[in-house]
Amino acid sequence: MKNNIKSLLVLIGITAFTVGCQDALDIKPAQSLSIDQALSTPANVQAILLGAYDDAGQTGSYGGNLNLASELLGTTNEVDWQGTFLQPRQFFQKNITIDNSFVGGSWTNAYQIINLANVVIENSSIFTDADEKDRVEGEAQFLRGMAYFDLARFFGSTYVAGQVNSQLAVPLSLEAILSTEGHDFAVPRNTVEEVYAQAVTDLESAAGKLPDSNSYLATSNAANALLARVYLQMGNFVAARDKANSVISSGDFSLTTSYADAFNNGSNSSEDIFAWQVTDQDGTNGMNTYWATRTYGGRGDIPVQLAFRNTFDAADERGDFYYTQSNGTFSLKWQNQFANVIYIRLAEMYLIRAEANFRLNTSIGATPTADINRIRNRAGLTGLLNDFDPILNPITLQDILDERKKELAFEGHLLHDIKRLGLTAGGKNFNDPLLVFPIPQAELDANPNLVQNTGYNN
Amino acid sequence: MKKLLFVFFVLGCFSVNSALAQNRTITGKVTASDDGLPLPQVSINIKGTQIGVASDVDGNYSIEVPSTATVLVYRFLGYITREIAIGNQTSINVFLDPDVTALQEVLVVGFGTQSKRNLTDNIAKLDAKQLKDLPTAGFQNAFAGQTAGVSIQQTNGKVDGATRVRVRGVSSISSSTEPLYVIDGVPITNNNESTNGAAVNPLLSINPNDIQSVQVLKDASSAAIYGARGSNGVILITTKRGESGRAKITLNLSNGMSRETNRRDWLNRAEYIELFREANANSGGSDADIEGDFDFLAGNTDWRTGEVDTDWQDLVFVDGYNRNSDVSISGGDDNTRFFFSGGYTDIRGIIRGNDLERISSRMNIDHKFNDKLSVGMGLSISRSTIDRLSNDNAFATPLQAIAQSPLSPAYNADGTPNPNTLYYNFLIEDEDASYLTSVWRTLANVNLKYSVLPSLDFISEAGYDLFSQSEDRFWGRSTETGESVGGQGFVSSVRTENLNLNNYLNYGKDLAADHYLEVTAGFNYQTSARKYQSVTGTNFASDDLQTLASAGTITAGTSDLTEFAFLSYFGRANYAFRDKYLVKLSARYDGSSRFGANNRYGFFPAASVGWIVSQEEFLSGINKLSFLKLRASYGETGNAEIGNFASLGLFGTEAYRGEPGLKPTQLGNEDLKWERTNQLDIGVEFGFLENKISGEIDYYSKETNDLLLAQPLPSNSGFTSILKNVGSLTNKGFEFLLNTKNINTNNFTWGTSLNFFTNKNEVTKLPGGDIISGRNIVREGESLASFYIVEFGGVDQANGDALFVKNTENPDGSIDRSTTNDFSEASRIIAGQAFPKWEGGITNSFTYNNFDLGFTFQFVNGHSIYNSGGRFQAASGDFYDNQDVNELNRWQNPGDVTDVPQARLFGGNGTQHSTRYLQEASYVRLRTVTLGYNVPQSTVDKIGMSRVRVYFSGFNLLTFTDYTGYDPESTADFNSGFSNNIALGQAFYSAPQAKTYTFGINLEF
Repeated sequence: MKNNIKSLLVLIGITAFTVGCQDALDIKPAQSLSIDQALSTPANVQAILLGAYDDAGQTGSYGGNLNLASELLGTTNEVDWQGTFLQPRQFFQKNITIDNSFVGGSWTNAYQIINLANVVIENSSIFTDADEKDRVEGEAQFLRGMAYFDLARFFGSTYVAGQVNSQLAVPLSLEAILSTEGHDFAVPRNTVEEVYAQAVTDLESAAGKLPDSNSYLATSNAANALLARVYLQMGNFVAARDKANSVISSGDFSLTTSYADAFNNGSNSSEDIFAWQVTDQDGTNGMNTYWATRTYGGRGDIPVQLAFRNTFDAADERGDFYYTQSNGTFSLKWQNQFANVIYIRLAEMYLIRAEANFRLNTSIGATPTADINRIRNRAGLTGLLNDFDPILNPITLQDILDERKKELAFEGHLLHDIKRLGLTAGGKNFNDPLLVFPIPQAELDANPNLVQNTGYNN
Repeated sequence: MKKLLFVFFVLGCFSVNSALAQNRTITGKVTASDDGLPLPQVSINIKGTQIGVASDVDGNYSIEVPSTATVLVYRFLGYITREIAIGNQTSINVFLDPDVTALQEVLVVGFGTQSKRNLTDNIAKLDAKQLKDLPTAGFQNAFAGQTAGVSIQQTNGKVDGATRVRVRGVSSISSSTEPLYVIDGVPITNNNESTNGAAVNPLLSINPNDIQSVQVLKDASSAAIYGARGSNGVILITTKRGESGRAKITLNLSNGMSRETNRRDWLNRAEYIELFREANANSGGSDADIEGDFDFLAGNTDWRTGEVDTDWQDLVFVDGYNRNSDVSISGGDDNTRFFFSGGYTDIRGIIRGNDLERISSRMNIDHKFNDKLSVGMGLSISRSTIDRLSNDNAFATPLQAIAQSPLSPAYNADGTPNPNTLYYNFLIEDEDASYLTSVWRTLANVNLKYSVLPSLDFISEAGYDLFSQSEDRFWGRSTETGESVGGQGFVSSVRTENLNLNNYLNYGKDLAADHYLEVTAGFNYQTSARKYQSVTGTNFASDDLQTLASAGTITAGTSDLTEFAFLSYFGRANYAFRDKYLVKLSARYDGSSRFGANNRYGFFPAASVGWIVSQEEFLSGINKLSFLKLRASYGETGNAEIGNFASLGLFGTEAYRGEPGLKPTQLGNEDLKWERTNQLDIGVEFGFLENKISGEIDYYSKETNDLLLAQPLPSNSGFTSILKNVGSLTNKGFEFLLNTKNINTNNFTWGTSLNFFTNKNEVTKLPGGDIISGRNIVREGESLASFYIVEFGGVDQANGDALFVKNTENPDGSIDRSTTNDFSEASRIIAGQAFPKWEGGITNSFTYNNFDLGFTFQFVNGHSIYNSGGRFQAASGDFYDNQDVNELNRWQNPGDVTDVPQARLFGGNGTQHSTRYLQEASYVRLRTVTLGYNVPQSTVDKIGMSRVRVYFSGFNLLTFTDYTGYDPESTADFNSGFSNNIALGQAFYSAPQAKTYTFGINLEF
């Protein structure tokens, strides 16, 4: 009997302890919020918006790789590739395989940005202040429009002005996705026309909603500047000119005193209309990684060829914007690994306005000559073009385009300019299918409704 | 007459014997050969007579033998009987070998023990003898070639590398496939906490010399009591405990040296110049171009004169060593027993800059208060410090130096490392960077056993496991990492606290004649919390000040916390009828915080039956058959290594210019649960000729369902995948174990142990379609992680182009086997598998007088290795990387027949991922060899010791393989994470294993 009592006590003890443990299985993560929590306050939705900027600024897209792809796919004799990474090497050789992880990463990253933007837009009603709501929506649309623009540029073949661009680009996704329920993601590619249209819609809406000043985040000027770039790519010179002109005439930006001052800045310069933020604590300057040498935190993979350096006049500061180490000569533009990654700066607006005015034979804001000279003067080329005689020695389109190339070299414009201007890249014609990204293997595997681009086998 | 002669002869013999017939006394000592402990109560008989004595508590004996006696027979339960010729000896010391097939053997099973004879489970065992003298830090290396069904792979020759253990194949695609490790009843933390991408073996903190036995629960019947954590097998580790008797001190000292198992041949200066001149010319480069390149590589030296011809490989490998000192004191009386130990291990790896030091101590005490209550405790503390290297995928890792040109000097004239090499010179990292990883582990457990009734025990076990790891990294100003930021420092610290409580009842009773029942029932609660923190800083005041206090800028810092808990109920019943019909049922009901809200608890039952056929009367006439048992089991286990919060839809945090950001990190799935494995095991155990030949044969079939898979989603969802329990795979195989005692004479014994096992893995359901990770694929119908790659088709004799076999499907469904020089025209094929098809080992053990010799050959067959570095190392001069000498067999002129394409600088001639770099890597390896000598007892006694043994042992001394890479067991350490089951079987500048020669001495007082 005594023993039985003891057994009973033991069993009671076990049971008591067990009951006490039940709650122990409800453990919440310490570093993450549930979806409901994340959408529950304006501060959280604002944080999601910043998450979208952070995603966009990553090396996989705007922090470096999109510019890298443009410059390497576009190069003829401007730069060399001497690194060991095979993905950029494929860009350089214009021989991309469908499993190129940089290509896959840029696709994935773009849609992550888009989804975050969609989440913010769908939840913007949590902001009771109308201006706040507009600002948040505008920023999200700015990022979404930007992402679609680049998806269309890289994954779709060249936009041709004056026709319906029915060639395939990428699927449009405009819904917030935080659960798979009720969604079918296996959708076909939309056309280049449709994706450009979405980008324009988003950016125009953003330009209307965004404030003039918004610290280093998107502003109405940033949206207009990006629109100028988009319209230029579309060959819509009137809109490109007017957008560029509106940014310039806003007076919010000015060219830096010297060319060098425009680069390697830890915070936005007077010339930066929009830049991806990098500090020594967060963000990565993915351009530095490949374009700077080890001494400056990079890999020293992309030396600038002599042929390109020789295109500059002796007095041109931009022709001297290099440094040489034992493994080659490198651009100074990306020397500081903790500098912001420039996205749009004022010089581009002058160049767009000049080109568009020239093509339209107008002088909205300024003459093409004045705009070009402004750029040249800043680079130390005083007087050279000041004496243009509009009759005897008129400025040519080529002059403007040459200036554009020299000014904006290694900033991600090369491939897109080649396509827009019908030039060639390393012997490949601007419309060569191999100058278009392949649809990534993983996407084809996951979505049977996607069609691969011409020139690539599955 | 003949008869008479015979009588005389017999009488003559007899009388001669009678003339010498005098009794004498023989004394000696009997000890166990495995642990050197004295054996009391050994029966010592004169052969052919009833005369006999027993050894005393110290193993000593004294026996009067008549002069007619010729042989003494030593018998002890669980040990192999020995017969020793008396001759004219008066002192005979005897070592008895444990009978490894002994059916009396008692095995540790979860929450109890069971006799091997009545076991209906499949359990593999390693004992202390197989664990000692290992020249590696991790005890898991002892499994190699020893245990059927248990595969082991040491990542590569770095001393700290992860050791992957697979029990009966790989039963998961995305979750950990590591077995559950349980030390003295406590499931321990087995997290890879390395921060450099290469896994560190978390169990290197366990001193193998403290281990009494290791048992691997392989089938469902044995593992189901561990429920949701049983699918990968359970490894039960029992530490040494004291035995009553005179206190004993053992001291083991050893000192060894090691080298790499293999080197490869690279181009020397002249060959390099020849090949690259040719490669350059073939690509249309001018002499000036390539000579300029050579000038760059040669730096300030002149490559033409041959003043520099650097053998980079030679700078990587160094003479390694391993030094071990272990001391233990054990003993006790009838009520209290103790075991104390201390160990020190110092290993220098074969790769420059890679060292490991471990200090450990253990204390186990058992005390019996009275017949009802006994308590025990165990406490061990260890600290391991490791000088580590970058992972294999970094220029800073030493073996990447083989990519450097032989034209480049390794050092400047002033003795500092040359910074102007093709790639970052690892010697800079070696001199100006440091990377120290420290691992602390404290294991404490207390247990209480109370006999409620004579047949009913209540057992309570509480365990605490504190695992702590810190990393201290520093890169000086001359290093790749530190150069642009004024030096960089990184410190991290992780602490995982794991608490475990088992309360259970054990009931065992003969219910009636012929009926025996054992029941175990109880519950288990475990909670584990892991806290991690790290800080990164740059701009150091000086390279000599390396703590973060001297960092001018703190650039990153973080801390995080994660927890999980299990609450489980378990039960087991064993029933034996007439000692020959055996039935076992077991089950566990497992709840875990890891499982989704809709599936918080899982039920894991198993049943097994056994029939000891040799007990049946109808077999009693067959004398040669000593034992025969048939058994079968079926049951279900789970794999709960699915991550702590995998079922939840979550947002994680990010910062953008110092402002907080949120991003979705995963999609939720409330149905998410454990992976479920159903396993069938059918086995037979046999013994012939008094168990001189014994063995086991098993067939198993494991089917795993509900595999957790990241179902790929189109990225336009904003996500790339969602986790679901959707996949299935199977593992099936045979296990064969044979032990024979070939010779057992008075001074010579020879025993052989052979094991052989197969495993066929097949992915049977993969709803999301193929999963391709680099060169590996998961595909329905194929073995997990098969190689999926384009087939290399040799070289076009006409122009030296690399060719690839198209392997595309023709319109009629046949396969186009024609070749092409356009890589993109070729389709990938399944070209090999990453896991072996069969493995095994054979161990021979000899004793001759005082000498013992044992050696184990391990064989591993059917796996392939893809050398991801091949496209740089054998790249037809594609880049300036130094090339394998085989590249000299390149195509040069039309008509050349070779499989090395024409060398083309920047030509990419055949450097795409193809079977050019894939090779089968089957091997046979002389894993261990040990030659020992026991100093004669008379000498030992004189110096006041009880045992002295000196030995030589070798590890990985010989390797037979057709694989031409560094080592058929070495793969990339950046793929060694415990949940990576796909990107496997790839080598990337991965160091060969160490080959070790050790001399040692075992002393016992």
